[in-house]
Amino acid sequence: MEEKSLKRELGLLQATMMGMGGAISAGVFVTLGYAATLAGTVLIIAMILCGIINLFSMLSYAELGAAIPSAGGEYTFAKASFGGFLSFATGWFEWISNMFYASLSAVGFAYLISYIIPTINVPLTAVVTVAIFTLINIKGVKETGLTQTILVIILLALLGIFISWGVLTSQGVGTLEIKAPEGFLGVLRASAFIFVIYLGGEAIAVAQAEIKDPGKTIPRAILLSTLALIFIYATIAYVVFKIVPSKTLAGQASPLAYVAEQFMGPLGVGIITIAGIIAALSSVNTSIMAHSRVSYALARDGYFPKNFFNLGERFQTPFIAIFVGSVFTAAFAATGVVNFVAYAADFGFIIGFVFVNLSLIKLRRDKPDLHRPFRVPLYPLTPILGIIASLFLIIFLEPSTLLIGIGLFIFSLIAYCIRMVGHYRFCLAFGGMNFGISAFSAIIAYLIISNTLPIALSEVTRLLFFGVAVFVSITYFIAGLLDIIRKRDEK
Amino acid sequence: MGEVRRAVSQFIGLIQCGLGGVASVFAYLVYASPSIRDALSVTPNEVYLYMFLLLVFGMFSILSGLLLIREEDSWD
Repeated sequence: MEEKSLKRELGLLQATMMGMGGAISAGVFVTLGYAATLAGTVLIIAMILCGIINLFSMLSYAELGAAIPSAGGEYTFAKASFGGFLSFATGWFEWISNMFYASLSAVGFAYLISYIIPTINVPLTAVVTVAIFTLINIKGVKETGLTQTILVIILLALLGIFISWGVLTSQGVGTLEIKAPEGFLGVLRASAFIFVIYLGGEAIAVAQAEIKDPGKTIPRAILLSTLALIFIYATIAYVVFKIVPSKTLAGQASPLAYVAEQFMGPLGVGIITIAGIIAALSSVNTSIMAHSRVSYALARDGYFPKNFFNLGERFQTPFIAIFVGSVFTAAFAATGVVNFVAYAADFGFIIGFVFVNLSLIKLRRDKPDLHRPFRVPLYPLTPILGIIASLFLIIFLEPSTLLIGIGLFIFSLIAYCIRMVGHYRFCLAFGGMNFGISAFSAIIAYLIISNTLPIALSEVTRLLFFGVAVFVSITYFIAGLLDIIRKRDEK
Repeated sequence: MGEVRRAVSQFIGLIQCGLGGVASVFAYLVYASPSIRDALSVTPNEVYLYMFLLLVFGMFSILSGLLLIREEDSWD
């Protein structure tokens, strides 16, 4: 399982920064407003609680990462414990989620830049950003880690200025009196809404094959970054409620910038905007590294094309995995469909949490003698709480998120079948589906031409749709024929 | 005969890939363009359903097309 060819070049500092940079994205700069209207000042407690819930799953990452320090993170854990389709689905979700997350962060970065330079083209800026970080990732893991460390240190310094200035200032008309405007349910909804700000920290596990002394460094980096995130988010929320009443945050496009302006003036807006820009950049960097390592691991086990497992001779990085994933990332970023991308990323990350906790329980039962440099405390309570918390989050997600998640699951099933089912039988299945689509299109064509379709269409549109339906019907019929008449080539 | 079948297979595969691409773009248009939604009488509640169906169709078409384009060698 050991990755002989990937270089172990990330130390504790870089790994910790990888986790923190992955989590502190543009999300924290925009989600606070709505969450504050739901939970009021109780949001401070909700943020700490979310951090603790996140910690349950992160402890599982720490144990598994130290015990199985191969590339791929969640996928590798699921592979070692469950294998088969479940592990593939975990890897698939992680691969797609990280690509979505990278594109979301790139679009977020481009929007923030557009506030400063209104004339820039947002999709183009997002694509260029992805391209730059793709090159950095191809250049080497050392460069990726260094870039990440620099970005996160600047980000922490800026947030540190905001927090310390806010704590020390005597200005502010807010109140820290415990009050939840929408009651306990509002607090729960706010918790589910803001939990996304903790997602992304598990990038450490994905890059674990490149971390020095993994038995010690991985658990330390995961725990350090998780605890630091709880502290940073809770103190940010404290400053926010100290400075302004929670009601005034409603409808603010950038609640943090608004708060900063109240006690720091235009300088505060500048600091928070730059911090948002850097947060978005570090998320792009981490996510590109994460998606490439997941696809690299999937290729290692034969689920993805072998080329993804190739390392560049000069830089020893999986350049094909990085490049292909980044092409998809750039394509998602170019569409600018931010909501869809955000929902899909959230769903994938949360599913990853569920599988990591399940993997921990299964491996503890099946492989009790596996060398574990770090062990989750209070087992099995901790991973069970991690699973319950993740399922709770899924319940509170937008219905459209679930729909997107189901769609991604179907794609994963199709992709798995492509790799695992015999080629001839697979062609037969496709042939059958092609015939089905052909028949369905023929029925649609009949309904259109007989004017019995329950949609009011103009004559031109009706004829156009009829032509398309007939064309589809004929094309898919021929495709079906071609699929079923090919010679058997069973291996 | 094999050459003809191979050419037809590649041609149909290309068309299927194209249809899949068009369906995916159409899914995006249904999501992003109110005028398209009005023209098709798609209510806001149905948007994600249409998107889902179009994306599934698009993905299937692209996969089926690629199968026809890439796997022609296995016939001989």
